[in-house]
Amino acid sequence: MKPAASDQSLNIVIVGAGRGGSALIELLTRCKGICVLGVADSNSDAPGLQVARYHYIPTTKDVAWLVAKDDAHLIIDVTGNPEIPPLIARHKSPATEVLGGTAARLIWSLIQEEREMYEHLAHTEKLSTLGVFTAGIAHEFNNPLHIIMGFAQHLQGETDPAVIEEHSREIIALTKRLSEMTKGLNLYARTGQIVETSAVQIPQVLDDAVKMAAFSTILDEVTVVREYGPVPDMQANPSELHQVFVNLIINAVQAMNARGRLTLSTAVEGGYLTVLIRDTGPGIAPQDLARIFAPFFTTKERGVGTGLGLYIVRTIVSKYGGMIEPISQTGSGTTFRVQFPIAGAG
Amino acid sequence: MALWPFGVHDREHPSLGVVLVVDDEESVRKISRLTLTKAGYEVIEAENGEKAIEVLNAGENPLTVDVILCDIRMPKVNGVEAIHYFQTQYPSVQIIVQTGFPDLNLATSLLKQGIVDYLVKPVEREKLVAAVAKAVEQRTICNS
Repeated sequence: MKPAASDQSLNIVIVGAGRGGSALIELLTRCKGICVLGVADSNSDAPGLQVARYHYIPTTKDVAWLVAKDDAHLIIDVTGNPEIPPLIARHKSPATEVLGGTAARLIWSLIQEEREMYEHLAHTEKLSTLGVFTAGIAHEFNNPLHIIMGFAQHLQGETDPAVIEEHSREIIALTKRLSEMTKGLNLYARTGQIVETSAVQIPQVLDDAVKMAAFSTILDEVTVVREYGPVPDMQANPSELHQVFVNLIINAVQAMNARGRLTLSTAVEGGYLTVLIRDTGPGIAPQDLARIFAPFFTTKERGVGTGLGLYIVRTIVSKYGGMIEPISQTGSGTTFRVQFPIAGAG
Repeated sequence: MALWPFGVHDREHPSLGVVLVVDDEESVRKISRLTLTKAGYEVIEAENGEKAIEVLNAGENPLTVDVILCDIRMPKVNGVEAIHYFQTQYPSVQIIVQTGFPDLNLATSLLKQGIVDYLVKPVEREKLVAAVAKAVEQRTICNS
């Protein structure tokens, strides 16, 4: 959600919304006391403009118009284009400072470094979760392989057409099941990049995330209740949203010790796409509630949790201008409410 | 619970033994049944550890089961819990693990506890039949 500009906030205008500008916008929107008044780029498809739109930050192709805003304290020029500094100088208010040239390049490099570190961390967290899945993955693959081999062995020398038909059908169905699992793992293990955005159906992502969670434990004793109200598609990187919901669902299942009810719901609430993930576990202790999103905080035993899951979840949700909030009381389960702004609403 | 062993055997063609197949996946039980009945065994099925315990306790004479072919990762009572129960209650019944879960520590621990074999899926039918034959032989030694 875009913070309103105020007398206390540091109001910034960004010129240039390429990869560097995009990382800069993501970082600044996470900083308290900073308000990004607008982002300008001559390329209307620049990735930073999409990030700005998630946060309801005005975007424009008209640099002169944006830099003329008299409530701007600082203009950051990350274009590297020699024609931009004189343009800014001509149109800006005398009180507005400009960060450009070598200083902007330095900031750009530092932010790139931070961005790469975060991406590395997010990927490491995914791989670590895959490590937890290893036994489950082996089980989920070896079972269908066993059945395929079994039916194939029984087909050898079989002459009854009905039996041949039945066994062949089983083999084909299992091969498809294996293929679906491979696709799910591939979606999860991919590294996230902002350029890979597409129209994502949130209920589908939730269903895929439940399938992934089944690698971590047996879900037979978890009743999955789906209350999917109609929601619009979300323009996002599917792999990142998948990571968000796989993490939240695995946490919910682990909190219930794989026994209980997992309720997944989607709805539109006041211009927000809202997802609720509710478990019937013991709830989060009040002293832990404030710390659960902090990096390296975990209540899981050593080797089970990295303490990065919820930190990454919140970072991804924030990137899309969204919010995440745990609602929990000891003894009465936990609900995670995730909300994303709906493009064009509000 | 009525037990209905698969495989037809009579006085002229007695079965080589009775195998209780415990696996939550129906197709895995079907494959095991096809393989073992062809090889001359009678097969009883259970879909998890809890059902297997029910089957054993429901039979008029539970000792008619010679071998239990048991999965590990199952809902309700899992394989490890079920095996512990089988070994405590029916020590002469031989146990073979057939699982998709390749865990060396678990395999070592269960073999030390006296299971006949720890087979990791996919298991070739010759290997399964050989393991069951070995288990039935050990069962015969136990009873003699």
